[in-house]
Amino acid sequence: MILKRIKLVPVLFLLPSLLFLGVFVYIPIVQNFFNSFFDFSVFSQTKEFIGSRYFKELLEDKILLTSFANNIKYAVISVIFQVFFALILATILEDKLFRRIAPTLRVIYFIPVMISISVIALLFSFIYNPQMGLLNSFLELIGLESLAKPWLGNATTAIYAVIAMSQWQSVGFITMLFIVAIQKIPKDLYEAADIDGAGRIRKFFNITVPQVRETMFVNVLITVTGSMLVFNEPYILTNGGPGISSMTLSVHMYQLGFIKDNMGYASAVATLIFVVTAIFALIQIKVSGTGKDE
Amino acid sequence: MKKILSLLTLLVLVTLFLTACSSDKGATTPTSANVNNNEDMVEIDFFHRWPNEPRKSFYDQKIAEFEEANPNVKINVDSVLNDSYKEKIRVLVSNDGLPDIFSSWSHSFAENLVSSDRVLSLNEIIKEDTDWSSNIMETQFEGFTFDDTTYGVPFTVDGKAFFYNKSIFEENNIQVPKTYDDMIETLDSLQKAGYETPLVEGLTNTWAISHYLGTIFQRIVDPEILVQDYNTSTSKFTDEGYIKGLEIFQELTSYMGEVSTAIDHEAARNMFAAGEVPILYMQFAEVKLVQDIGDVDIGFFNFPSIDGGKGDQTALTGAPEGWMLSKSAPPEAVEFLKFITSPETAMEFTKADGQLNAIKGGITKENANSTSLEAYDILLDSSSTAVWFDNAVDINVADIFMRGGQSLATKQITPAEIVKEVQQAVQKLQ
Repeated sequence: MILKRIKLVPVLFLLPSLLFLGVFVYIPIVQNFFNSFFDFSVFSQTKEFIGSRYFKELLEDKILLTSFANNIKYAVISVIFQVFFALILATILEDKLFRRIAPTLRVIYFIPVMISISVIALLFSFIYNPQMGLLNSFLELIGLESLAKPWLGNATTAIYAVIAMSQWQSVGFITMLFIVAIQKIPKDLYEAADIDGAGRIRKFFNITVPQVRETMFVNVLITVTGSMLVFNEPYILTNGGPGISSMTLSVHMYQLGFIKDNMGYASAVATLIFVVTAIFALIQIKVSGTGKDE
Repeated sequence: MKKILSLLTLLVLVTLFLTACSSDKGATTPTSANVNNNEDMVEIDFFHRWPNEPRKSFYDQKIAEFEEANPNVKINVDSVLNDSYKEKIRVLVSNDGLPDIFSSWSHSFAENLVSSDRVLSLNEIIKEDTDWSSNIMETQFEGFTFDDTTYGVPFTVDGKAFFYNKSIFEENNIQVPKTYDDMIETLDSLQKAGYETPLVEGLTNTWAISHYLGTIFQRIVDPEILVQDYNTSTSKFTDEGYIKGLEIFQELTSYMGEVSTAIDHEAARNMFAAGEVPILYMQFAEVKLVQDIGDVDIGFFNFPSIDGGKGDQTALTGAPEGWMLSKSAPPEAVEFLKFITSPETAMEFTKADGQLNAIKGGITKENANSTSLEAYDILLDSSSTAVWFDNAVDINVADIFMRGGQSLATKQITPAEIVKEVQQAVQKLQ
C-alpha cells in the first residue's frame, strides 16, 4: 500500500502539466499533421482525403519560397543583431565606466520588450509613413533626402523595414539575459586578467564570450525559432505586401487557412513550419551540447 | 495529512482543468444560451462591421429603441471593421458560434456563408410580411438569392465612381473624360498643371485594387466569357482581355506615385479631401466621409469607356450589403431584422451616415445632400451593375490578381505572368 502511494504521488504532481501540454500542444500537433492529408474548408466540416498531394504542392509553391527566404533573412539578421550586438551591449553596460547609469540604460533598453507588438507595429507604421514619417523627415533633415523612400511600399525594402522593427523591440530582452549571465562570471577571472595586463577587448573575447557560451546558445535558439514563427510584425505592418515581397511562413499559412479558405493546405504549411523549427532546434541543441557542461 | 492535502489540491486542479475544457463547448451551443426560460428573457446576438462612427452610435441607438419596445429582449452587440469582419465571420460560421443576426456582402461572399448550411432561408418571412418586404428594391435581393432561395435582406446600395475635385478641373480648364484615352490625357494635363500624382489609391488595401480590376475587366472582356471565368467550375482566364486590363491598371498606377503602395485607402481619401489629389476612385458611401474632412466640391464620373472593349461601357461597379439570420435565431431576431430594415430606420440611417439605402424612395432631399442625390441618380441610371471583383471570383483567384496588382505597381511582375499564375490556380481549383 505504502509503496504504491509513493509511486502515485509524483505521477499525480506531473499530471496537471502533462494534461496542459497534451491538450494544448501535443494533440494539436498530431491533429494538424493528420489534417494536412485532407481537403477541407472552414465553412464545411466534411473532409476529403487527398493523401500527400498538399506536400507535393509545397514543393512548387512560389509564395512559400519567398516566405521561407524572408524567414531566413529574419533569422540571420536577428542572430547578428539580437545575439552578437546584444552581447556587446550587455558587456558595455556591465563595464565599470557605466556602473552609475547602467540601471537607467537597462530600463530604457528593456521598455520596448514590455510594449505590445500591435502598438509597436502601429508606431512604426507612422515612422515609416511616406508622407509624414519620422524616418523620411529625419533623412531629409540631415540632407539625405535621396535615400527617403516609401519603406513599407517598396518591394525590396519592405521585409527589411519589418525586420528592423523586430530588432529594435527584441534587443533589450536578449541584452537582459546576457547581463544576468555576465553578472554570474566570477570576478577573480577578470582580476587575474587585469594582473596579466589584458585589455578590455582581450577580456571580452577570452573571458566573457566563453563564460556566457551557454546563454548564447539559448539566445540563438530563441531568436532562430522565433524568426521561423514570426507573424505579428509582417501581418500588421504590411500583410505580406506589396505583392508577396514581405510574406513569411506564418502569414502565408494564416492567409491560406482563413482568407483563401484552404485549411488542408494551411495545415501542410504548418507541419512544414513545425518540422523546420524542430530541425533548427535539434541542430542547435546537438551542436551546443547544452546541459553537458555541468 | 500533508500528502492528502496536496493530493486534494491536485485533484481540484485537474477537475478544474477538465471542466474548463468541457464547459467551453456548452457555452457555444446557440439556442440553449439564447433563451433563458426563468424570466422569459430572449437574448439576440447581433454582429455588424461598423465599430466606427457614425454607424456604431446609430446601431447602438436602434438597439436601445428595440429593447425599449420589447422589454423581454436583450441584444448583445459586437462589431469589428471590414477585413477583420470578413475573417471573423468566416470562423464563426464554421462552428456553432454564428450570431443570430449579422451583416453580409452580396454574391460570392454571401454564397460562401450560405454554403455552411447555418444561414436561415428568408423566403417565407419575405412572403408572409409583404408590408415590410415590398419596401425594399426587388433588384437588390438578387445578390443574396441562390437557387431561388433568398438568404439576406439588402439594406445599403453602393457604386464606385471616380470622384473629382470640381474646382481643380475648372481652374485648369479640364473636361471630364469620357473614354479611357481622354482619361490619360486628363491625367497628363493635371500633371502639367503641377499635380505630380493626379490620381492616387491606397494600394495596401488589396480590395481597392480588386475594385479597379473588376471594372476594367467588365469593360474589356466579353460578358459571356466573364460569366464563364467568374464561375469556378468553368473558369479558364485565357482571354487576352485580362492581360490588356492589367496593362491598363499598370498604366494608371504610374500616375499614382511611389507613395501609393505604402498607404491605405483612408490616407488616399484624406489626400483627396485635403485637395492635394484631384481624382480618386471611391464608393458613394464615402461622400459623407470626404465632406466631413474638407469642403471639396465633389463631382463624379463613371469609369470611362475603353476602346475595343466588349463589355457594357456604361455599367457601374457596386453591390448591396445587407443582413442575414442564423438558423438558430429566435423569432425575436426576425422582428429585429424587420425593425432595422424598415423605411423609417433607413431614412434616419441615410441622414446620419450618408450611405444610400436600398429602400424604394429612401433617398430624398430631406435625408441626403445634393452631392449624395447626384450619386444616387448615377446609381439608378446605370445601364447595369457589375459586382465587386473580390466578391465575384474565388478568393484564390482574387488574391493572385490583387497581390499581382501591388507587384505591378512596384514593377515586380508583368501582366502576362499574373494571368499565367491565375490559369494555374484555376486548374487546381477544378
